[in-house]
Amino acid sequence: MEEPIPETSSELLFGAVAAIAAFLIISILLGFLMRKKAKNFEEWLVGHGDIGPVVTGFALVASYLSGWAIFGNAGLGYAYGWSGSWLIGTTSIMGMALCLVIGYRMRRYVALGARTVPEMLKVRFESRLVQALAGIAMIVLLLVYSVGQYKAMATVWTITTNTSFYGSLIATAFLVLIYLAVGGYTGTQWVSCFQGILLTVIGWTLGIAALLWAGGPARIAESIGMQNYTAPGGNQTPIPLKDYVLPLSPPKGLAFPGVDWIGVTATIFMFLFMATGFPHNIARFLGTRKISKREYWIFLLILVLGGLTPLWIGVVGFAARTVWGDALMAETYYPMYGDSAAVYASIGAGGFPLASLFAACVFAASVATLAGMVMIMATNITRDLVHNAFPEASPRKLLLLTKLMLVPFIAIPLYWTFTSPPPILSEFMSGSAVAQAGIFFFVVGVSMYWKRATKWGATATIIYGLIITVLHPKAYGPSVGLYHWGCWALLLMFGSALTYFLVSLITTPVSEEKLQRMFPKK
Amino acid sequence: MEMQKVKENAEMNKAYIIMVLMALCVILVPLIAYSVGGWYAYWGHALLAIIFGILAVLLRTRYYWEEE
Repeated sequence: MEEPIPETSSELLFGAVAAIAAFLIISILLGFLMRKKAKNFEEWLVGHGDIGPVVTGFALVASYLSGWAIFGNAGLGYAYGWSGSWLIGTTSIMGMALCLVIGYRMRRYVALGARTVPEMLKVRFESRLVQALAGIAMIVLLLVYSVGQYKAMATVWTITTNTSFYGSLIATAFLVLIYLAVGGYTGTQWVSCFQGILLTVIGWTLGIAALLWAGGPARIAESIGMQNYTAPGGNQTPIPLKDYVLPLSPPKGLAFPGVDWIGVTATIFMFLFMATGFPHNIARFLGTRKISKREYWIFLLILVLGGLTPLWIGVVGFAARTVWGDALMAETYYPMYGDSAAVYASIGAGGFPLASLFAACVFAASVATLAGMVMIMATNITRDLVHNAFPEASPRKLLLLTKLMLVPFIAIPLYWTFTSPPPILSEFMSGSAVAQAGIFFFVVGVSMYWKRATKWGATATIIYGLIITVLHPKAYGPSVGLYHWGCWALLLMFGSALTYFLVSLITTPVSEEKLQRMFPKK
Repeated sequence: MEMQKVKENAEMNKAYIIMVLMALCVILVPLIAYSVGGWYAYWGHALLAIIFGILAVLLRTRYYWEEE
């Protein structure tokens, strides 16, 4: 006899609201304290360049762990069993370690005047075109990423407060507005560091509690080994969940990354590249101070602790599948389906205290990330496009425009989630992640080390990456016969690499004299 | 001079070995999933990722350190 799925209580509602409020207050206080120390806008963006490895490390963890990792991973484990592991990101630490060893060189560009990732590209390639294109690419890809954040927070709000999903979406949009209005968006390294610690501690606690609640690892493995895949909506299939690939029926099933070993290979490379490719991740190094060899190891230790958190959230999904079977895939749970597993499991495994803390955790991961992304997109418009085209534009007008741009960037993903919420949010967000990995790993990460990279190589890579992004198997891919997620992702990442290196090699880099500033001789 | 060059070559060979080991960590991920499966593969991937991270930082701090 399966356990009944827990119901919402007034205790839980109160606990969740109190935990979210506490998180907001702490974040605002931290943001306010750090903002007071910044003398101007530029200093506010990157601080004083004096942030150490502990704060930067946890800030990196916070920016990496979005609604996907801290919430959606449970949905993956729940819906797809072991084959969900590929998107859960069991190898996340590999990519985070690469980001650590590559990203540190961002400091060099801060010294040369860069304050954002597109500005770093302007400095590297002496090109406003690359800056503007990178800004546009970031807007497109972050809009998709924002949809997942909306779904994560709205699902938590729906279950903990018993409001409708659509009402919860509106509430999420309001929470983002409040977060932005009161200054939480400042996203200083200190606020992010606090969020990173919170996400790590709660993620580990919930994962371990869920493991025990479901009867231990052996019982979970046995239960998953006996179950079959159920599609969102409740349609049961004879495809077993026991393996690390889930051969869903073509052509629709091919859009799932874990459908075969080609898809699996693509996810491994996606996780290798994406931590460096996420512009909001690599930007964490803009405010870092000089780090010693010993501190590098401390940094890695923090990334290991934070990088294991997504795996613990995946465990929550496996545990929920063990306890409730495929019940959450039924039509009754539209549009949350398996994504609701994390919230219900947090109630089941830890009662209202853990569920309340988890709600604050998802708030931290999704709303704060959403607010951060909205700010990035708005500044992409003003700093990388408008100011880039009209350098004489007054700072006052640019600031006003930035504030105005917040509205469409909150509204567009809200409308998207309202009209077509993705059934499994992490699967949806992985589309944007592949594009960010494929484009920015090379254009930003490799360009910091490869002197021969050119602005035309970077430009061609961004354009190529955006075109292939549109051909995602769940977007326009089927119109050109591209149904397979793995093939699409490999085409995007390795096609971007090929474009970047080939075009760079046949075009002229910036002059040796200018390169000297970025690549000083030892 | 000659000795110095031999020493440098030996050091660089060590760096290449580390890179090969890093590549091996990546290759082993799907192999473990295919051959072992279950929890061992799940946490085994994490272990490989940690080893990969240690090797990456070792490479950075010992062989590609940048003084500012």
